[in-house]
Amino acid sequence: MNTKPTSFLVFVNGAIENAEVNDFDDLYLRFSYVIGKDWKICSGLEEGTTQIAHKSVQLGSKIVFNFPLEATFRATNPFGWPQLVISGYGLDAFGNDVVRGYGTTYIPISPGRHRIRIPLFVPRSSSRFQQFLAWFFGRRPEFVDPKVIAFNAGREMTRVQSHGYVQVVFNVVTKDLEELGYKIETKHSSQTSQQRSERNETTYVDNYHA
Amino acid sequence: MSEVHVIGQILGASGFPESSLFCKWKVQMGSAWRVLQGDHEGQTQVDEPSDEPMANWCHPIDLHFATKGLQGWPKFHLQVWHQDVYGRNELYSYGFCHVPISPGLHEIDCVTWRPKGSLIEELKTQFIGGSAQLKNPDLVSSSAELYKLRTVSMGKVHLRLHVIVRNFDKYGVEF
Repeated sequence: MNTKPTSFLVFVNGAIENAEVNDFDDLYLRFSYVIGKDWKICSGLEEGTTQIAHKSVQLGSKIVFNFPLEATFRATNPFGWPQLVISGYGLDAFGNDVVRGYGTTYIPISPGRHRIRIPLFVPRSSSRFQQFLAWFFGRRPEFVDPKVIAFNAGREMTRVQSHGYVQVVFNVVTKDLEELGYKIETKHSSQTSQQRSERNETTYVDNYHA
Repeated sequence: MSEVHVIGQILGASGFPESSLFCKWKVQMGSAWRVLQGDHEGQTQVDEPSDEPMANWCHPIDLHFATKGLQGWPKFHLQVWHQDVYGRNELYSYGFCHVPISPGLHEIDCVTWRPKGSLIEELKTQFIGGSAQLKNPDLVSSSAELYKLRTVSMGKVHLRLHVIVRNFDKYGVEF
């Protein structure tokens, strides 16, 4: 006798591949997952830190991390789907550890392989003078809790400057979502989700040249 | 009761005359729909990109609707605002886009426009700032009343949304 499942599983693995930045040469990232209250992480690291990576001497080089990500989530409700929150830090000219950028993206929902370019942004100082002080003393404005960027509330107070991207690859598989009645893909789609997400990634890049 | 989940981000905007933009968003839907979980309106951060023309917001959208019918499928009302160096906010443009009906991942470019004033008003906008605004912003998605307006095109807002549906096949709806 088959008992109907009461929860579904989302299994994610992948890697933080690289970061494309112009203003600085070295970076390390802290990542964490933000999930809703109907979600639980069954396995995998909930948060972690990458190595400190530098650019190579080639012109236009990216900062390569190749940092593995693996996690399994169990949930009863797609609301609160996991988000990957990334905060980047590095050393400035005076040797202080300063924040270089924050970024967030939803773990892709459709099963398959997805490559996502997450823009990085940094909070701006309130005035030019504050900006100079922050640069001089190495105490740049940062979020008390980076997870705030994964929520809707309170964002209207933040003024940020975006620069650079972090590329992340996700491989996603779900279990029992269809058993619970959720439809996450239309059966008439003429492309596989991998083709669509790769095509969409190119479209996204082209859009900002429009 | 059928359910619809919309999970994704308002990624950013491009094609606007100045950077330092933010977006106010709101979900509008018919009377058969109810928001079960999630905020139905919000405002993104103000982003000033340092090297590219695209403002990046990465604002999370996570909505859970329950519905008794297909009419009044939810749509987003977007307003793009500009914040200048003195901290003054002026409205740049209006736009709307429907939440996609088919389940799956969708990359959406929502085009936007702003109302065009008379010659004097346009000159004022150019030198002092602050464009004409609609008295009733809900007009953006009403097909019956837009014929009265004269508008100027503005840039695009980029959204990446994933739609999940549940229990629609019990009612015979095919996706």
